[in-house]
Amino acid sequence: MRISTNMVYQSGINQINDLTSEQNKLQLQIGSMKKILTPSDDPVAAASAVQVEQAQSLNTQYTSNRSTVNSQLTNVSSTLSSVSNLIVSIQSTIVTAGNGSYSNSDRATLATTINNQLAQMLGYANTADASGNYIFAGNQNTTAPYQQTSTGATYSGDSGQNTVQVATQRYMQVNYTGSQVFSANGNDVFTTLTNLAKLLNTPVTDQASQTALTNGIAAANASMSSALNNVSSIQASVGANLNEIATLNTNGTSTSTQNAATLSGLQDLDYAQAVSDLSKNTTILNAAMKSYTTVTSLSLFDILKG
Amino acid sequence: MASSDILSIGQSALSAAQAGISTTGHNIANASTAGYSRQIVVQTSAGGINYGYGFVGQGTQVASVQRVYNNLLATQVNAAQSSSSQINSYSALMTQIDNMIGTSSSGVSTSLQSFFTSIQGLTTNPNNAATRQAMLSSAQSLANSFQNTSSTLSGLNNSVNSQISSTVTEINSYASQIAKLNQAITVAQSASGQPANDLLDQRDQLVATLSKDVQVSVVSQDGSYNVTIGNGQALVVGNTSYNLSAVNSASNPTQLDIAIQTGGSTTNTLNSQTLTGGTLGGLLQFRNQSLGPTQNTFGQMALVVAQAFNNQQAQGLDLNGNQGTALFSVPTPTVFANTDNTGTQGIAATVSNADAVTTSDYTLKYDGTNYTLTRQSDGTTSTYSSLPQTVDGLSISLSGSGTMMAGDSFLIQPTVNAAAGLSVALTDINKIAAGGSVVTSTAASSNTGTATSSTPTVSSTYSSNPLTTATAFTLTYNQASNQLSGFPSGGPQTYVSGSTITVGNVSFTLSGTPANGDQFTIAQNTSNATGSNTNALALAALQTSKLVSGTTTLSDTYAQLVSTVGNQMNQLNITGAAETATLTQLTNTQQSNSGVNMDEEAANLIRYQQAYQAAGRVMQVATQLFTTLLGISG
Repeated sequence: MRISTNMVYQSGINQINDLTSEQNKLQLQIGSMKKILTPSDDPVAAASAVQVEQAQSLNTQYTSNRSTVNSQLTNVSSTLSSVSNLIVSIQSTIVTAGNGSYSNSDRATLATTINNQLAQMLGYANTADASGNYIFAGNQNTTAPYQQTSTGATYSGDSGQNTVQVATQRYMQVNYTGSQVFSANGNDVFTTLTNLAKLLNTPVTDQASQTALTNGIAAANASMSSALNNVSSIQASVGANLNEIATLNTNGTSTSTQNAATLSGLQDLDYAQAVSDLSKNTTILNAAMKSYTTVTSLSLFDILKG
Repeated sequence: MASSDILSIGQSALSAAQAGISTTGHNIANASTAGYSRQIVVQTSAGGINYGYGFVGQGTQVASVQRVYNNLLATQVNAAQSSSSQINSYSALMTQIDNMIGTSSSGVSTSLQSFFTSIQGLTTNPNNAATRQAMLSSAQSLANSFQNTSSTLSGLNNSVNSQISSTVTEINSYASQIAKLNQAITVAQSASGQPANDLLDQRDQLVATLSKDVQVSVVSQDGSYNVTIGNGQALVVGNTSYNLSAVNSASNPTQLDIAIQTGGSTTNTLNSQTLTGGTLGGLLQFRNQSLGPTQNTFGQMALVVAQAFNNQQAQGLDLNGNQGTALFSVPTPTVFANTDNTGTQGIAATVSNADAVTTSDYTLKYDGTNYTLTRQSDGTTSTYSSLPQTVDGLSISLSGSGTMMAGDSFLIQPTVNAAAGLSVALTDINKIAAGGSVVTSTAASSNTGTATSSTPTVSSTYSSNPLTTATAFTLTYNQASNQLSGFPSGGPQTYVSGSTITVGNVSFTLSGTPANGDQFTIAQNTSNATGSNTNALALAALQTSKLVSGTTTLSDTYAQLVSTVGNQMNQLNITGAAETATLTQLTNTQQSNSGVNMDEEAANLIRYQQAYQAAGRVMQVATQLFTTLLGISG
C-alpha cells in the first residue's frame, strides 16, 4: 500500500492521542478510586448505585432514629424505675401505717410522709426530657400534664402516642401517656395517695373510724400493688423495645456493611488492576512515541543530502 | 532530418523535465496542505515523421498535469465525516449531562435523601424548632438543586442555539465559496481545456469541511457542483448559493430552527428531522433525544415532589393546630401559541394530578371544529369538540377571550420548566404539618363490634369548607338492615367492610364487623397536639412510595434517568469510536491514493533532474553536430 507522508504523521499522532486519553482516564480513576466516573462508564452499575445509596441512606436514618428512640425510651425506663421504687417505699409506709400500736400523732407524721411521696410522684409524672418536653403528657407535651388538686391531680395531657420508624417495617412506640402509667384501669395513684393522707390525718376516735382506717389502708395497699404491677408491665415492654433496638442496631450495622460492600463492588476501582493498566499503557505510549520519532525521521532527502 | 530537429527533441525533453520538476516541487510544497491531491505530469510522445526508412521520433510533449483524485473515495470520506461530526457534537453536549448526573456528591438525588433524612429527624422530635428548621432548610436546598439542574440544562439549550447559529454562519460561508469556485473553475477549464487542479482541490476541500457541519449531497453538472442538504433543498446551484438562517421556532420560541432562502427574500423552515449528519445534525439530535427528555424527567420529579408533599401537608395539623398549607409552590406547565396562529385565542394548562403527568410534550391543534391533542412521545392523539379537558393529569382550557382559527396550534410542555419553577412556599417553621390528622374518626367507647376506622383524608378543597362543631357527624350501625345512618345528607347507606366512604371533602374506610348500635364520630381535630408526629411519619413514608406515575419511587425514577443517560452516552462512545475508525480507514485509503509521499517525490526529483541533464546533453550533441556541419561547409 502506498503511504502518504501525512498519513505517517497523522496515524502516529492519532495513536498517541488515544493512548494519552486512556492514560488520563486511568489517572482520574486512580485519583478518585472509582471505576465509574460518569454513568456512561457503566450505566447498569450507576443506576444500581443510586438505589443502593438510597437503601444505605435509609439505613443510616433508621440508625439515627433508633439512637433517638433509645435515649427517649431509656429516659422513660429510668423514670419508671424511680416510680416503682417510690411505689415500693409507699407500700412500706402503708404497712407501717397499719401498725396497731401507732397513735393518731404517729399516723399524722406518716400522712406527711405520704404527702411528700405524693409530691415526689407528681414530680415523676411531670418529668421533662432534655428538650423540655413532658414525657408523660401524650402529644400535649409542652405543658406539665399533672396539676395537684384537693382530691388528687388532674391530667391535662392527651392519649397521643408517637411512633418512630426504627427499621424498614417497624414503627416503635416512643412515649407512654400519664393515664397509661398513673391511672391505668381507673386506679389513679394520685387519688389513692391523697385519700390515704387524709385518712391518716383523721384521728381514730371510735370503732367506726378504726374500721374506716383499716379498710382505707387495705384499699390503698391494693391500689398501690396494682399500680406497681402496671408500671412493671410497662417497664417490661419498654425493656423489650430497648432490647429490640439493640438487635436492630446489630442488623443495621450488618446491612450497612453489606450495602457498603455492594456499593464498593459497583463503583470502586480494582486498584491493582488500574495501576497495572496504567503502567502497561505508559509502556505502550513510550513505544508509540519512540516509533513515531523513528518513522518520521526516515526520509530519502536525508540520504540524498550532499 | 536536420540537427535542428534533434535540438527541438532535446528541447521538448527539457521542457517535460522542467514540468516534472515543477510539479514535483509543487507536490513537495503542498504535502501538508489540507485537501491537496498530488499532481502528476502526463507525458506523451510527440510522434514521429516518416523518412521512408521509418518513423523518426519527434520528442515528447506534456499532455496534461492531472491530480490523483478518486471521486467515490471522497464521497465516502465526506459521508463518514458527517456521521463522525454528528456524534462528536452530540457527545460533547451529552458529556455535560453525563458529568452532571455522575457526580453523586451533589445534585437532586443527594438533596432528596437529605430532605427525607430531615423529615425522619422531624418524626423523632416533632415540636423542636431545630428539627423543623432543618426540614425547611433541606426543602429549600432540594428546590435549589432542582433549579440548578434546570438552569444547567437550559444553559445547554442556549448552547445548542448558539452553536446552531454559528454553524449556520459557517455553512453559508462555505456554500458561497463553493459557488464562487464553481464559477472560477468553469472559467479556468473552458479557457484552457485542462483541469484546474488546485481550484478543484479547494472546492473538494470546502465540500469536505461543509460535511463536518451538515451532511450534504453533491451532484456534478458541467464541471459545477450542485450541493443539497436535508430533503434535497439546494444550498449551491452553479454560481448561486442559498443562505441558511437560524430562526426562532414557530412552535417553541426557546429553540432555533433552520430556514433556507428559496429565492429572493422568501425563506422556508426546514424540518429538523431531515437535517442529519455533521455538527448541525448532532445538535438537533441532542436537543430532541437527550436534552428534552432529561429536562422533562427532572420536571416530572419536581412536579411529583411538589404535589405529594402539598397533599400530605394538607392532611395534618401544624404547630398552631391549623390544617397544613402547601410546602412547595407547584410549577405551572409552559404553553406556547404558534407564531403562525391567525387567531387570538390563548390556551392555559394546569397540573391537576402530578402522578399522571408524563414526560412528553403535547401539541394542541384546532381544525375549525375540533381540537386534536397529540402526545409527542408516542404520537397518541385525542380529539375533542370543546375545552376544557383533562388529559394525563393536565387540565387544558381556553384562557382569556379571543377567536380560535382553523389551523391554530399550541405547544404544551407540562414538565420542561417544572424543575426551574419548584420553590418552597412555607417560611414559618411552625406551619410544617407534623401533627395529627385534620379530621378524626373516633369509635364510641360503648362499641362492642370489631369495626375500626381509618384516619380520614381530606381533599384539596377541604380548607374552603372545613368540618365544624355543627357539621361533625356520627354514623350508627344498624345490624338488621346492615346499614350506616347519620350521614349529613341523604339516607342510610349499606355497610361494606373496607370500602371508602366519602362525605363532602372527607374520605375514610370502616372495616371489620360492627355490632348493632356501634358508632363512629367524624369531627375536626381540635386538639392542639404539638408533640404529635403522625403526619411527619406520613411525609417520611413518601420516600418509599411509588409516586411517579403510580409505579416508581422518586429514587427509582432518578436511577432510571441515570441508566438512560449512561446508556445513551455509552452508545455514543461506542458508535463514535466505530465512526472514527471508519473515517480513519477511509481517509487513509484516500490519502494512500491522493496524498503526497516525500520519498516518492525525492525519487521523482532525481528522475526529472536526470531527464533534464540528459535532455541538455541531447541539445549539446545537436549543437556539436551543427558545428561539425558548419566546419565541413567552411
